[in-house]
Parts: sequence; C-alpha cells; structure tokens
Amino acid sequence: MRTERRKDGRALRAAVAGMVVLSVIPSFRLSAQHISIGPQVVFGDYREVSSDLQYRGSGIGAKATLEWKKFSADIVLSKVKYRPTSNGTATTEFDASEVDVRLRYYITGPVSGELGFINRKADPEFEAQSVGAVTAGAQMAYLLGPGVRMALHGGLMFGAKYSGGGTTSGLGALQLGLGLTVDALHRRVRVTGDYGFQRFSRKTDDGRGVLPAPIQQSLGRVGFAIAF
Amino acid sequence: MKAQALVTAAILSGTTLAAQTIQNPTLRRAQQAFDNLDYRQALSGGRAALRERLSGFERSRAYELLGFTYSGMDSILKAVDAFKQVVLLEPERTLDPNRTSPKALSAFQVALTQVLVVRQLVVDSVTFVGGQGVVPVRYTVTQPARVVTRVVGGTGAASTSLRIDSTVANGQVNLRWPARLPNGDPVPAGNYTVIVEAAVGQNSFSTSQPIRVSHGTVDTVAHLTSLPGYAELPETEVPPKSWRPLGLALVYTGVALAGTSALSNGDLGSPSLREGGAIGAGIVLAGFIMTLKKPAPQAARGNILYNQLLREQIARRNAEIAQENTRRRQQVALTVAPVARPGGGR
Repeated sequence: MRTERRKDGRALRAAVAGMVVLSVIPSFRLSAQHISIGPQVVFGDYREVSSDLQYRGSGIGAKATLEWKKFSADIVLSKVKYRPTSNGTATTEFDASEVDVRLRYYITGPVSGELGFINRKADPEFEAQSVGAVTAGAQMAYLLGPGVRMALHGGLMFGAKYSGGGTTSGLGALQLGLGLTVDALHRRVRVTGDYGFQRFSRKTDDGRGVLPAPIQQSLGRVGFAIAF
Repeated sequence: MKAQALVTAAILSGTTLAAQTIQNPTLRRAQQAFDNLDYRQALSGGRAALRERLSGFERSRAYELLGFTYSGMDSILKAVDAFKQVVLLEPERTLDPNRTSPKALSAFQVALTQVLVVRQLVVDSVTFVGGQGVVPVRYTVTQPARVVTRVVGGTGAASTSLRIDSTVANGQVNLRWPARLPNGDPVPAGNYTVIVEAAVGQNSFSTSQPIRVSHGTVDTVAHLTSLPGYAELPETEVPPKSWRPLGLALVYTGVALAGTSALSNGDLGSPSLREGGAIGAGIVLAGFIMTLKKPAPQAARGNILYNQLLREQIARRNAEIAQENTRRRQQVALTVAPVARPGGGR
C-alpha cells in the first residue's frame, strides 16, 4: 500500500513538473504550439458501494492544455475535500487528489481520439478507494462562436486498480465529460468550465462471493487560464 | 459668248491676286484688252510683254494670257503651246474647272501631257515608332517616265542619300517610305529633302520637298493595378444568423446529463446532476449569446480563388507590360513633317 502511494505521489509530482516546464518555455520557441495554464475551483459529488456512502465537497484544481498541430493534451489536477452528506451513514471526511491526463489526436470534423490515464488518491486512504486507470475515448468539439468552444467527450477506463482491491469488467468503467472554453482579452485569457463523470462498476470478493462495490464521481470545474 | 464669259471670269479671279504683283505695264495693258474681249490687242500686248524683261511669275502669266486668248480665238494648237510654257514655268499651276472654259481647260490638259513635269509632290506629316510605320509620299508625273525618288540630307556623319523608289510611272504615284537606313535603323533626326527626278529620253524634270525628321521617346505602358471590369471580391463573408449554436449547446448538454443519468449505478441512488447542470447551464448560456451575436466572418473560398486568379492575371499582364516597356525604351518615335518649299522644280 505504501509503495502504491509513493507511485501516486511520483506521478503527481511529474505532472506538476511537466506543467511548470511547459509554462516557462519561451513562447517564441513554440510558435507552432499553444499553451494555456490556470487555476480552477472544483466541486463534486462522490459515492461508493451504496447510496449511504455519499459525499459532497469542493476544492481547488489546475488545468493545463497544450496544442501542437493535430495533437493536444489536457493535464488536470484537483484536490477536493469531500464531506459526508447529511442523509448518509458516512462520518469522516477525506481529501481526493486526482490527476487526469488526456492526449488527443484530431481525426476528422469535430472528432478527436483520446488516450490517457487517471489517478485519484484518497486521504485518509481507508475512507475511500484510491483508483488508477488507463482511459481511451473520443471527443467531439464544436465552435459555438468566435473564441467559444464546447466539447463532449466520453470513453472507457481500462485496467482499473483500487487501493482496496476489487476488479472491474472491460466495459465496467466509464467516463463522460462536457467542457466549455471562452477566449477573452485577445485570447490571452481563457475562461474554462468542465464537467466530468466517472463510474467504476467495481466488484469485490472477500471469500463469501462476488459483491458489487461501485464507485461514482461527478466533478465540476470552473476557472481561467493564461494562454501563451 | 458663254465661254468667253467663263474665260473672263477665270482670268479675273486668277489675276485678282496676280494684279497685285504684275508690274509690267505692257502685260497689264494686254490683260486689260483681254478683259475687254479685245483678243487682237491682248495677243499683241502679250507677245510684246514676253519680249520685255519679266519676272518668272509675270512670264507665266503672260503665257497663260496667250493661252486663254488663243483658246478664245479657237487656235487650240497655239493655246496648247502657250500653256506648255505655263506648265514649264509653273508646274504646280492648275486651272479651276468651274471657272475656266472647256476649250482652255482641254488645251491646258493637252499641254500637261506634252511636257514632262512632276507636280503636286506631297509628303504627309506623320508620327510613328521607328520600324513600325511609313511616311506617305505622293506626286503626279505628267508623262510616262522613269521616276527616281530619293531622300537626301542630314548633317556630318549622318548625311545620307536614300533611294525610296525607282519606277516607270505616269499619273499619280503613291509611295510609302519606312524612314529607315539600309541597316534597318531609323534615319537620324535632321533636315532632309525628298527629291523626285523624272526622265524620259533627253527630257528630265525634278522637284523636291524639304522635310524635317525629329526623334522622340516612345511612351511606355503603365502597369496594371486592376483589370477593367473585374474587381476583387471580399475574401470573408458573414454567414446568416442561425440558432445552431444554441441548438448544439442544448444537444451537447442534454447528451451529457442524459448520459450521466443513464450511466449512473442504480445502487448509488439518484445521480447528482448539480455539477453537470452548472456547467451545462454555462454552455447553454454561451450558445444563446452566440446565437444572438453577429456571426464571425468566415473565409469565402470561392472569392479567395477568384481573387487569386485575378491577381495572377494582373501579374502575368504586368510581366508582359514590363517586357513591352523594355522593348519600347529601345525604340524611337519618328516625327516627319514637311517644311515650306522655297520654290517649284526645274
């Protein structure tokens, strides 16, 4: 368990370091690429096993976007403090730190293909499941108007690993998202709004048979980013 | 009687100007006698005047008076002889057919065919690019003769003698002189003389016309900035306002929220639509604003291609104009103008 936490920490630090490196590279050397980076306010809903374990919370996050030719990448970090809801049986709050990396390749029309990974760590680690998975899916983007873009993306999450054990079938882990980006101040600033939904149909077997232990999270993020 | 009146009128009109310059009293008396239809007195007066010292003009008028008198007396052969002397003295002399009796006119015409003269030498004033035009030259030769037309003139090293034409001709002759040297270059600027020499047997006659040749630069052609009748089209166009942004925002948001509901695990209770609803509301609002907003101009591909073709055409035409101007700068504009002639031929 300690080893897994160390791996999660390394991934988070690598992602942060990558964002910092991208942000400090002079823009004149990257004339063919566009970078934006900025903070976000995060709010979410987290459920696990049954409707009794329901949490809601808010926190902070950051989002970086890199575009180069037909490629683009989103790196999203968030830390949400989840508190039990009043109608549930949970009593202890926990922090969920999440890294979501998506690499995207433009295919045709509004469609792009996506590949990435997600890693969410719960602290204290026994209050909720830490999870990591590889994501694959597609994105449809549309230009609503000058500087206003919206995107709908969805896909599957493969090879999900849980801190508390358990498995998920091939089509059991799904994600869905909606995003909005509005350029402002001559494209120097972008106002961003993102919604992400994840569902893991996790199953556990403690020797008494297979039991469903699903995990579900809805996350909303609103913020802005500086574009280079 | 009618013929006499016509002759009288012709003499009167013809001598109105001459009376100002005829100084010889004998000739004046003879003309007075002719005016009074006293042909005998006019004849003796005219002959007497010819024996006196007369200017060329007076001598020509004296013979003309004799010609008219003989015509009036129906002595056609003598009238022709008298008119031959007129033509030799004054080759350019013509009689007004409306004011001259047919007898005198026919006698004059017969006289013209019996002497060799070159008359009515005319060099038209003309301007053209050297090598691309000609100078019209025309004259009338009264008898079949070998006629050589030359241009002489120029100064210093540029002095030249060019043969324009050599032919056997009779009547009116039209020539076209290209105003070029034998090597093809335009003749240098300067004063020249067009000389027409006619010869038949022992008889010869020559006349000349001075001309001035001047050089100028050939105008170049201005470059084109547009093609007449073709204007560039706007390369962007504003599409018509549509509800598409709002519609798509609703569709995307609806898909996200419906997907959230559909994908939620039933064991975890009713799904939370708070997060998706908040972001979806923002998207719908943005779609609504974009629907109300004037659409952004979009590239008009057809117009861009049209403008591209237009610019290529103008560039191609300007390249041709540049080549044409390079050629024109090496050319010279020749202006040939006749100069007042000092006198008739001989």
